[in-house]
Order: sequence, then structure tokens, then C-alpha cells
Amino acid sequence: MIQHSMFHEKGPVFWWTGLAGVMAAGTIVILFASLVIESVPVFKAEGISFLWGVDWFAGENYGALPMIFGSLAVTGLAVVMVLPFALASAILTSEFLSGRARLMVKAAMELLAGVPGIIYGLMGISLLTIWVRDVFGLIDGNTLFTAGLLLAVMILPTIMTLSEDALSSVPGELRDTALSLGLTRMETVTKVVVPQALPGLAGAVFLGIGRAMGETIAVMLVIGGIDRLPQPWFNLFAPGQSIPSKIGREAAEALGFDVQWSALIALGLVLFVMVMTLTFAGNVLLRKAR
Amino acid sequence: MLLVLFGTGAWVLPGLSGWVQVFAQGSTVIRIAGSTTVLPIVSRAAERFQSRHPSIKITVNAGGSGVGIHGAGTGRFDIGLASREITPNENQRYASLHTTVIGRDAVACVVSSEIFHAGVRTLSKRQIGYIYLGKITNWKQVGGPDRPIVVIDKETHRGTRHVFMHYLFGNSKARAPGARLVTGSNNEEQAKIAQSDSAIGMLSIAWMNEDVAGIGIHEGGQVIQPTLDNVRNGRFPIARNLNLITAGQPAGAVKLFIDYLLSEEGQRLVAESGYIPIHSPHAVSRVAGSHSK
Repeated sequence: MIQHSMFHEKGPVFWWTGLAGVMAAGTIVILFASLVIESVPVFKAEGISFLWGVDWFAGENYGALPMIFGSLAVTGLAVVMVLPFALASAILTSEFLSGRARLMVKAAMELLAGVPGIIYGLMGISLLTIWVRDVFGLIDGNTLFTAGLLLAVMILPTIMTLSEDALSSVPGELRDTALSLGLTRMETVTKVVVPQALPGLAGAVFLGIGRAMGETIAVMLVIGGIDRLPQPWFNLFAPGQSIPSKIGREAAEALGFDVQWSALIALGLVLFVMVMTLTFAGNVLLRKAR
Repeated sequence: MLLVLFGTGAWVLPGLSGWVQVFAQGSTVIRIAGSTTVLPIVSRAAERFQSRHPSIKITVNAGGSGVGIHGAGTGRFDIGLASREITPNENQRYASLHTTVIGRDAVACVVSSEIFHAGVRTLSKRQIGYIYLGKITNWKQVGGPDRPIVVIDKETHRGTRHVFMHYLFGNSKARAPGARLVTGSNNEEQAKIAQSDSAIGMLSIAWMNEDVAGIGIHEGGQVIQPTLDNVRNGRFPIARNLNLITAGQPAGAVKLFIDYLLSEEGQRLVAESGYIPIHSPHAVSRVAGSHSK
């Protein structure tokens, strides 16, 4: 009897959601496994120095460092540039705007968050590269900085709107209590609401980072496309290459075999691990912060 | 768990190809992709050809010569477009590749129009080589304005790059340490040179326009301009065949389409696209350099 009722409770909904969960987890496992397996040839050819080799020439040498550096540089740049604006506008929208104005801002931001990368890419190639060149007096505007700036614009709506969700889901009672205890409006925000919303804010930032790291076409069009470390390394006004942009440029040619294909898969693996590590580190930091 | 997923995959894939067949019922599809140099000819020809043979559908995609040769070899495409010859390495990989030449083209060394108007009208092979090697970095070193040179390279598998590097250094895979940017298609290269006021690059002569000027090559005491006439009479040094690559001898609908390209009408399209026909000597309507867009 009891067994039967348990089975009954685990009816279609249980099995359906369970299957979906297993498939989601399975996809990750299979993806990771196939990335690892297909990367083997390049690690056999280049050894582990694939990771810090600085020269990449299809058919001869495969060194991933310029691409790894490029990805980190443009993502880091984007986050640094976007954070103050995204958080400030999220706080403004959640804490200081009237209900109606808030909805309008939210709607606009969510609309922007859904704009495909290629649209930003076209804006980037036709306007941003030229502005960057003229404003900073460069010989050419296709640089790591340009890509970072474009990514900052791209991830602003994502980070802003998710941060706003996190802030506005902090219960109103907390604000009322803080205000009735004599805190000012600003103190309520910085001392009560933001700390409460921290996990959500961090989640928003990590999602933004994820989008920035994986963005292909927009970056490909403005980064310069050259597999070379800048000289000196911190000169972000030099052209470079990111991992997705490199894969985007070479995948069709290398499709399916040879060390070149394996090298591109290995780049994908590196990107995968980078995003995983960041997410993991973010979670750990959050747990410590609380 | 793995079984579940693989099972799903095995289910979906035949399902998809089934759908494709349903959509394409009663028609043959010719899949074409590759060189953006050959592409303008083929997309024009495909349009006309399809209106005459409604049962044949043609898809045309870009990608570059490497992609075209590779795709024809693996069977991903029925025809690969290539603006260079098949390398020994590629021939080794795919034994049966067959080449049909449909026209001729040249690769010009091009500069931003600002540089051209500032007086850089010709360069020697040695000068261009030094620019790509990073030994010449300012336009004033070659008689131009005092401005750094934005050297534009191309992706290593591109036909244009193979031909250009072979001319400069005798090695189609030569490196270009002087490069500042790497571009892919002819469009992209053309756009980046036009955007800059101090760029140098390599471009099929059919893609030159008022913002992207072809310069004369100084060779053996004379200057050879990148004009179709000079390509036709063999004087311009960086010329090449425009190739259609198939796996084995073309047959069926593919052969029908290739024969169309080789027909008088097809060859007229080659000329209209700014290239040189191989068969009957049509008058070429455009002079290289005046071809806009």
C-alpha cells in the first residue's frame, strides 16, 4: 500500500522533471568529456606548453596564450567599466524610482539585453572602432580596449536588470525597519538592502561575465584578430584575439580533423574551464561573505 | 544516462534529414561555399541558373578558399570555391579533388585612398615585403605622409593571402610580423582599409573601389598597374585562377551548373563580376579601380 502511494506520488511530474534534470546534467558531462577527448591530439603535439605558447600558425604551431590573455583582458575590462554604471542604475531603479518609471526602465533594459551580438558588432565596426581611434589618437581602432568597451555596453542591460531584480526582491519590511530605526535612505540602501541582495548581485555579475567571455561575433569584428600578445602586455590599445573570436575565424576551415581542429577544441575547453572556475570561485566567495 | 541522450540524438538526426528531404521533394540541391573572390560570379550565375532549372536549388555561402576545398573534400559541399590552387597537403588528404577553372583574377596591393592621393602610387616588391615584415613602418619611408602604416593581413587559409605571400616571399605560408590587423573575407578587408586613412592590404582587383586604391608594382625598372588588361596580357605578376573544386569529375546537376558557368553566358557573368573569362575573349566592361562596391 505504502509503496504504491509513493509510486503514485512520484507520478508523471516526478519522472518528467527527473528526466529533464538528468539530461541537463548529462549534457554537461558529455560536453566536457568530448572537449577533453578531442583536445588530446593538440596536447600530444604541443605538450602542455600549448597553454602558454605565444605563437599560433595553422599547420605549424599552436600556442593559446594570446587568446587566453585576450579573453581575460576584454572580459576584465568590460566588467571594470560596466560595474559602477550597472549597479548605480540598478540601485536607482529599484530604490528611488516610482513604480511606473521602474517598469519602463526595466522593460527597456530587458529589451536591450535580448539584442543579438551581431547588432552590437555592426555598431562596433562602423562607429566604435572609429571613435576609439580618433578619441585616443591611435593608428587604428581595432583593439582589445574597443572589444572590452563594446562588451561593457553589451552586458550592461543583463547585469543591470538582474541586479535590480535582486535588489527589489529584498523585503520591504527590512527597509521600513531600517528607516524607522533612524537610518537615512542612503544608509538603508548601502547597509541593509545591498548586503541582503549580495548573492543575487553576484549572480548577475557572473552571468554578465559569462556572456562577455562567450561573445563571439561582436568581439571578432572589433578586436583586430591578431594572435599576438600586446607589447608591453598591459597595452590594451593594441589589437589581439579572444578565444571565441579565434574559434569563429578558424572553425569552418579546420572542421573535423587534424591538429588544428583539436587545437580549437582545446581552446574551447580552456574557455569552459575558465567560466567554470569563475562561477565556482564566485560561489565560494559568496559563501564566505555571508 | 548516456544511453538516453545518444538515443535521443539518433532519433532526432534521421528525423531532421527526413524533413529536409520533404522540403526539397522533387528538387536537387547543390551546396556551394568557399572563396569570397569567386563568390560574386557564382551567386549571379546561381540566380540565373535556378530560374531556368526550377527543380535545382543552389545554396551559396562564403568562408574562404580553405573552407571551400576542405568542404568539397569532406562532402559537406558539392562545389568548393577556391581562388588559389590546391596545396600538396590538401591533395594528399583528399585524393580525388577535381579542379575546373572558370576565370582569372589578380591580387592587387591596395592602400587607403588618402595614402594614394598623398602620392604613394607605386611600391616595389621589396618595399611591400618590408612593410609586411615590419621593417618599414611609416609611410614617409616610401614617399608618403609621416604616418604609421596600418598593415592588414588575412586569415592564413585565404586564397588571396596564399597568392600574395607567394609573390612577396616565395612562400604562400610566409608570416607577416608587421601586421596590425587580420581580416577574413574580401568585404571585411575592403571595409577595414576604407575605414582607415593609412592602411595597406591585399585584395582581389574586382573589389577595389574609390576608397581602396590599387597601386602599381614597381618591377624591373617599370611600373605595372593592376588593371585587367595587364592581367590578361600576363604582365601583372600576382595573377591566379578562379577554381571550382569537386570531389571527382563533376556529374549530374553539378556538371550542368559548371557547364553553365563555362558557357558563353556564364563567362559573360565572369566578366561582369570584374574578372577575366577563360574562354572567348569578352570585352571587359570595367576597368579595375573603377569598380565600386
